[in-house]
Amino acid sequence: MDFTWTEDDAAYRARIKDFLARELPANWDEIARHGPGSPEQTEFSLEFCPKLAAEGLLIPHWPEEWGGAARPPWEHFILGEEMWRAGEPRGGQYMNVNWIGPVLMKYGSAEQQAQYIPPMAEGKAIWCQGFSEPGAGSDLASLRTRAVREGDDYVINGQKIWTSYAGLASTCFLLAQTGGAEGGRSGIAIFLVPMDTPGIEVRAIPSLIGHGDIHEVFFTDVRIPVSTRLGEEGEGWTIISYALANERVGIPRYEMGSAELDSMVAELQRRGQFSDSVVRSRAAAAAAACEAARLQVYRVVDGRARGAAPGNESNLARVAVVAAEQAVTDFGMDFLPDGFSGSDHMSMLSHHERAIVTGIAAGAAEIQLNLVARRHLNLPKGA
Amino acid sequence: MRFDLNEDQSTYATFLEQMLAAPDTGFQPVEGWGRYDYGTALDAQLDENGFFDAAREEELGSVTAALMVYEAAQVPVCIECAASALIRPFLGRDVSRPLAVVVDDAPGAIRYLPQAKGLVSITATGVRYADLPEGAVQPVESLYAYPMGTVDRDALDWTALDVDTGDLRTLWQVAVAAELAGVLKAGMDAVIDHVRERRQFGQPLGAFQGVQHRLATAAVEIEGARLQMLKAAQSRSAQDAAAALGYVQGVATRITYDLHQFMGAMGLTLEHPLHRWSYRAKLLRADLGGSSASYLAYATERWGAA
Repeated sequence: MDFTWTEDDAAYRARIKDFLARELPANWDEIARHGPGSPEQTEFSLEFCPKLAAEGLLIPHWPEEWGGAARPPWEHFILGEEMWRAGEPRGGQYMNVNWIGPVLMKYGSAEQQAQYIPPMAEGKAIWCQGFSEPGAGSDLASLRTRAVREGDDYVINGQKIWTSYAGLASTCFLLAQTGGAEGGRSGIAIFLVPMDTPGIEVRAIPSLIGHGDIHEVFFTDVRIPVSTRLGEEGEGWTIISYALANERVGIPRYEMGSAELDSMVAELQRRGQFSDSVVRSRAAAAAAACEAARLQVYRVVDGRARGAAPGNESNLARVAVVAAEQAVTDFGMDFLPDGFSGSDHMSMLSHHERAIVTGIAAGAAEIQLNLVARRHLNLPKGA
Repeated sequence: MRFDLNEDQSTYATFLEQMLAAPDTGFQPVEGWGRYDYGTALDAQLDENGFFDAAREEELGSVTAALMVYEAAQVPVCIECAASALIRPFLGRDVSRPLAVVVDDAPGAIRYLPQAKGLVSITATGVRYADLPEGAVQPVESLYAYPMGTVDRDALDWTALDVDTGDLRTLWQVAVAAELAGVLKAGMDAVIDHVRERRQFGQPLGAFQGVQHRLATAAVEIEGARLQMLKAAQSRSAQDAAAALGYVQGVATRITYDLHQFMGAMGLTLEHPLHRWSYRAKLLRADLGGSSASYLAYATERWGAA
C-alpha cells in the first residue's frame, strides 16, 4: 500500500496547474459561474480545448493511433481532477475524451471513426447524450424512443429529457429501441445523430442548476441512414456498459467540494468568523467527508490502473462523493448563507447552485445504495 | 498511489488471518454475565510470532501495523493490540506488553489496564512510561466490552521518553481510528448475517430497502474510515490522523445505533456477540475528546490556528 504520489504524477499535476494558471482568462470566474453545462462554458470550451490539445493535455490517455500518447490511467485521472477543481473549462467535452471517443474506437465503423474522432481530438466537437426519457430515468432500460428500419434508413420518434449540452451539440449519442414491443435492454441500439437533422427540436428547461443546462429533445420522424448506427441492433446495452466502465468514477466532485471549502474558509477568515469551534469543527467534518470520498475514488482508479476486474468499489465511491458534496454545501449554507445572493462570491454561488444535482445526475444515489446492498453486502432481493 | 498489499504485507495478512480465525477466538458467552472475553491464547500466539512488531520492519511498516489493529478488532475476543502495534515500536526503548495508554491525563478507568505490564502517558509536554507493579491496578467493572482498570498514577515510577510527543499522539489517533473502524466492520458483518437469515413479513429483513440503504451507507462510511486511517498510518501526519479519527468517531454513533436496531432483541443479549463490538465502539468514539476534538485539531492543521 502506498498513498503517496510518484514524482512523475506530482510533476504532471504541477504541469496542468501551470497550464490552467496561464491559459484561463481573467474573467474565467464569470464564465465558470454558469457551470460546465452552460452555453457560456460550452462556447468557451471550443477556444480552450484546442489549446489543451496543442499542449498534449486533451487526449493523452488515448492510443497513439488516435493521436493520444497512451499515457497511464492515473495521469488521465489527475487531469480530470485538476480540470474539475478549476471549474471544468473543458465543458461537455470531458465526455468526448473520457468515454465517447474510446467507445467509438472500440465499436465504431471506420467511417464513423474517421468522421467523429479527429474533431474530438482537436477539441472542437460538442456532443450530447440522449439517454434519459420522461419514463426512463434511473430505470434507463425502460426507454421508449423508437428507431424503425425503413430500407437504408431508420426513422426515429420519441423524446429525451434532462439532456445536457443539447443546445449547442452537433451530435447526439442516442439510445433507442429497435426491438419488439417488449422493449428492455436487449432491444436497445445506439445512433450517432447529427443534431441538425430535420425533425429534431431542442427546448431548454428552466432549472435550478443554471440556465441552458438541461433540455428536452424531441424526435419527430427523424430519418437517418443506417450508417449512423453504432454497433449492431441489440448491442446498445453492451456498449453503454462499456462506456460506463470507462467512466466508472464519474465527476471528481469531492475535488470541487474541497476547493470550494478552502475558498469558503478563506472568506470566513476574512470576515473574522473562523475562530468559533463549531464552525471550525464543521469545516473539518466536510473536509474529512471529501477525503473519505477521494480515497474511495482513488481505489477505483488504482484498480483500473492495475488492470483489476471492476468490482463494487465504484458504487461505494459514488455514494461517498454525494455525501462529501452535501457536507460541503451544508457547511456553506449554514455559515455563509449570503453565498446564494448577489455576485460577490461567484464560485460559491455556482457551487451551491449546482450541488443539488450531485445525488441525481448519472444515476440516483439510491440506485448506488441498492447496488452496494445487493452486490457488495450480498443482501437478498425483496419479494 | 497503490491500494494493494506488497508481497511482505500479503504474507503477513494471510498468516494474521489464519491466527485470527483460530477456534479459540470465536464467540463464547462469559460466565457471570461478563461483557468481554480476553483472548489470552490469541494474544500469546500473535506475540510469539512477532506480529506486534510489523511497524519496525521496513517492508511492512506502520500501515501494516494499523491494518493488524483493524483486523484484530474484528474477533469477538479482545486483545490489547492498538498500543502494542502502533505505540510500542516507537517508544525508543523496549517495554513489555500488553500496554495501556492514557492521553492528556484523562481521568477515570483505562482499557486493558488489568492486563497491562506498563502504562504510556502522552501529553502536550511529553511522553512518559511506567511499569505497572503487581497489585497496583484495580480492575473496574464497566459497561464497555473492555477490561478496565484504575491505578494511582502519582504512585508510579515514571520515566520521561525521548520521543516526539506530537508523533506519538498521531500514532495513537491512527490506532484508535483503526480499532474503531474494525469493531464497526465486525458489528456490521454480524448484523448482515442476521438480516440475511431472519425472516419477517415473508422475507428476510435484509430485503427491506429501509434496512439495505442504512447498511449500505454504513459500509461506505466504514470503508472511507478504513482508507483514511491507512493513509494516516503511512503519512503519520497530524492532519491525516485527525481527519481519520474525527471521521470514524463521527459516523460511529449512528452506525452503532443502526446495528442494534437491526439486530432487534437478540442484540440486547449477552448470548450474541454484537455487544462485544458495539460497546467497544461506544468507548472509542469518545476517546481523545471525540469527533469534535479531532476535527478542531484538523482545522488547525489545514487552515491555521483559531
